[in-house]
Amino acid sequence: MDRNVKSKFKIIWSMRSWSFKYIDWRMTTAYPSGWRHIVRHPLQFLKDFYNYLSWCQEIDKDVDI
Amino acid sequence: MISVRIKNINFKSPIIAASGTFGYGDEVKDFVDLSKVGCIITKSITLDERKGNPSPRILDSPSGMINAIGLANVGVEQFCKQKIPSLNLIDTNFIVSVAGSKIQDYVNVMDRIEKSNGRHVGYEINISCPNIKKGGMEFGVDENVTYSLVSKLRKITDKIIIVKLSPNVTNIEDIALSVESAGADAISAINTFVGLAIDYKTGKMLLNNKYGGVSGPAIKPLALAKVHKIYSQVKIPVIGIGGITSFKDVVEFIRVGASMVQVGTLNYRSPSIIENFNDQLKDFLKYNQINSIADLVGNYIER
Repeated sequence: MDRNVKSKFKIIWSMRSWSFKYIDWRMTTAYPSGWRHIVRHPLQFLKDFYNYLSWCQEIDKDVDI
Repeated sequence: MISVRIKNINFKSPIIAASGTFGYGDEVKDFVDLSKVGCIITKSITLDERKGNPSPRILDSPSGMINAIGLANVGVEQFCKQKIPSLNLIDTNFIVSVAGSKIQDYVNVMDRIEKSNGRHVGYEINISCPNIKKGGMEFGVDENVTYSLVSKLRKITDKIIIVKLSPNVTNIEDIALSVESAGADAISAINTFVGLAIDYKTGKMLLNNKYGGVSGPAIKPLALAKVHKIYSQVKIPVIGIGGITSFKDVVEFIRVGASMVQVGTLNYRSPSIIENFNDQLKDFLKYNQINSIADLVGNYIER
């Protein structure tokens, strides 16, 4: 694994500093109905979130910090 | 060392958070050190509130992403009432991104924001959004319409006007020249490339909007070429955008002609990452005995 690539758990852990306001914005950016979408489609959300974490790992291969 | 001046405004860093990737700006102020960001560009603001396109509207793609958010935003009235007061308190410059479906929309939005008590230093005119049914990119592909739009907006404000160009044109230099002659102070290049995602098994298109905008590291070489082509033709500053994920990418964009850069897709990974670029950039300049970031602009060697 690339040295920059974090585990999915570490990526989630790094999100603890994100403000609720920011997470809320991310939700409404992804889904027009925001949190309601998650309540109505929890499995879809979990699948999307897992895919997002995989995407983060892919992007980490390009990140050089 | 790394400060940049455009028109009469000093930016403490050449790093800008791109529109649509940092919320309206106030969402990140509690956990990102904004003093290390040269500027924030807000989400694009339209005359009326927009919910955007139905989901799915964001997808991953190799080394990037495809989005068809469709300019979801609160509308100019709510933006002025709710967002500008908190944006006025952030520890860096902010620029308001303006979008519309006809010229009068852009005029009305800018006019309303001019009458607010915003501390914004300028506007980025989004004439290149590929994800809405009407407007947006329609302006960005026609140099006469672009000229007409920018010259009308120029009469409304003395603040910085940046025009964000679409790469989805035959000759981006022609659009850049019309923007410059209409009185813009800078050019952002580039917005996303039109893309499509499909499931090979079912044949189902994956974005509800069918088409979306491709961004991220995948488009960096394409963006570098567009920035260089524009830099070779215009005298106003060029702001490079497209797949920046490290300070090395920042230097590459500056070397091919960008005076500043915007970081976009990377903010979806984590909005804190760009905090690091300032110090890395300073170290790079110091190590290479370069006095100012301005000395790097257009500093390349042809083979």
